[in-house]
Amino acid sequence: MLTTVHTPVGQPATAGRFCNTGYGPSLMPLDIGHPDWMAILGPETAFWSLVRRERLADALADPELLLESYRERRPEFQAEMDQLRFGLQPSAVYFNATDRCNLDCTYCYIPGDLRRHGAHMSGDQLLQALARLKEYFATSMGETTRKPRIIFHGAEPLLNRAAIFPGIDAFHDDFQFGIQTNSTLLDAEAIDFLTTRAVSIGLSLDGPEAAVTDRTRTAWNGDSVHAAVLRSLERLADYPALSVITTVTTANLDRLLPLVDLLHEMKVPACLLNPVRCTLPGARTVKPDDRALATALIAALERTHVLYRASGRKLIVANYANILLAILAPTARRLMCDISPCGGGRAFFAVAASGDLFPCSEFIGLEAFRGGNLFQDGIANALQSAPFKLVTGRDVERFAPCNTCAIRHYCGSPCPAEAHEMNGAMERTGAFCALYEELVRHAFRVIADGREGDFLWEGWDAGTTTLFAL
Amino acid sequence: MQPELKKPEESKKVDTSKPVRAVRKSCTADGVGLSHYILMDRKAK
Repeated sequence: MLTTVHTPVGQPATAGRFCNTGYGPSLMPLDIGHPDWMAILGPETAFWSLVRRERLADALADPELLLESYRERRPEFQAEMDQLRFGLQPSAVYFNATDRCNLDCTYCYIPGDLRRHGAHMSGDQLLQALARLKEYFATSMGETTRKPRIIFHGAEPLLNRAAIFPGIDAFHDDFQFGIQTNSTLLDAEAIDFLTTRAVSIGLSLDGPEAAVTDRTRTAWNGDSVHAAVLRSLERLADYPALSVITTVTTANLDRLLPLVDLLHEMKVPACLLNPVRCTLPGARTVKPDDRALATALIAALERTHVLYRASGRKLIVANYANILLAILAPTARRLMCDISPCGGGRAFFAVAASGDLFPCSEFIGLEAFRGGNLFQDGIANALQSAPFKLVTGRDVERFAPCNTCAIRHYCGSPCPAEAHEMNGAMERTGAFCALYEELVRHAFRVIADGREGDFLWEGWDAGTTTLFAL
Repeated sequence: MQPELKKPEESKKVDTSKPVRAVRKSCTADGVGLSHYILMDRKAK
């Protein structure tokens, strides 16, 4: 049956009537491992649909089942993805107020010498830096009710709380603040300061017991920090703006289920179960096998679902929730690693304690990716610098195998720092290609079973509009 | 104090009679998280 076709200029009226040839859209079938459903994806627009297995051939051949409705909306989806991938302006800064850290984690992306002997940013410099950032965002973000975000990150930011806390007080009307800390210095006074100012707090914990956490996260002298993190979690049990990062490595791969149990029991609302970033050689010593990692992560995800069903309380695994969002509502994603180009240097950038500017904190320590200095060169110049362009120009549409991958805009082939340092070039995949293959398939199975809401924040779609529904 | 929690309702019912399902939602993009941090401005439950 020939149906109405939006004919490209200068082309015959039948142009685009078929999928996968000529002007027709690319629609790729994907086996998601579900007994009843397969996916059909439009990779370049991040379009997805689920099709009964027995109707797969019909869905590709009968324009009225899928092709016609997709073809009508394809330009809109393409424009949305173009805006998301190329049209954003920075609205957040990862701010290292110190180079130093009191821990020596196996996988840290900041070189050990810098963490041991680096500098603190002075209080005056920090205030001056925040003033410059405020000025920049006032221009770059235009008219918006949304505040730019400043996330104090590390190294260990609380080593320089004497500079950070006055900065939060001085600019609390101008920025939404967050802090990622190893929690060893997060005493009652600091918790009171941060929670009364609604600062988003992220802690780091790698194991359900000290013996596991200690394999990758200890003080320089080897002392355990596990108990300190648990104390902080107890104190923050009812704090809604709390999250925990777990770096998944060979050291804790077999302990993710009890770790998820612990985080849920301690009323943590959200965590990141992040595959270790393999940017520096130390991290690669604890890199898990790609598929073993996928199996363990999916088991942990399903455990959070069991806990939710039993208790009514969710533990959101944010890096997985982000994959669901990338499918259901691409612009609603919270994390900007698994999109290409990634968020580094375009949705956010990083400031080191010296004021040096990097596309992302993952690049701090890689001098070749320094784009300038906040105090000397300015932000706009850094964003246009060659090192930033290297990162913002990394596009999965332009290198194999990503450019023909059906899930490239749910994955984004993270991370450019990892690809460059571990695999030798920007236009290579990151460390965990197979992991994304499995997680995306799992996400589609969850959607096929109508369980996606169980893995997402309450009200995740508030503020969204439905562009397309079949 | 955290409010008393209720057991969740059943997951939404899937219409298995439909041969094709698809949904796409849209909003203003404002994600800025990365693998080292996620801003918690959404409620889990």
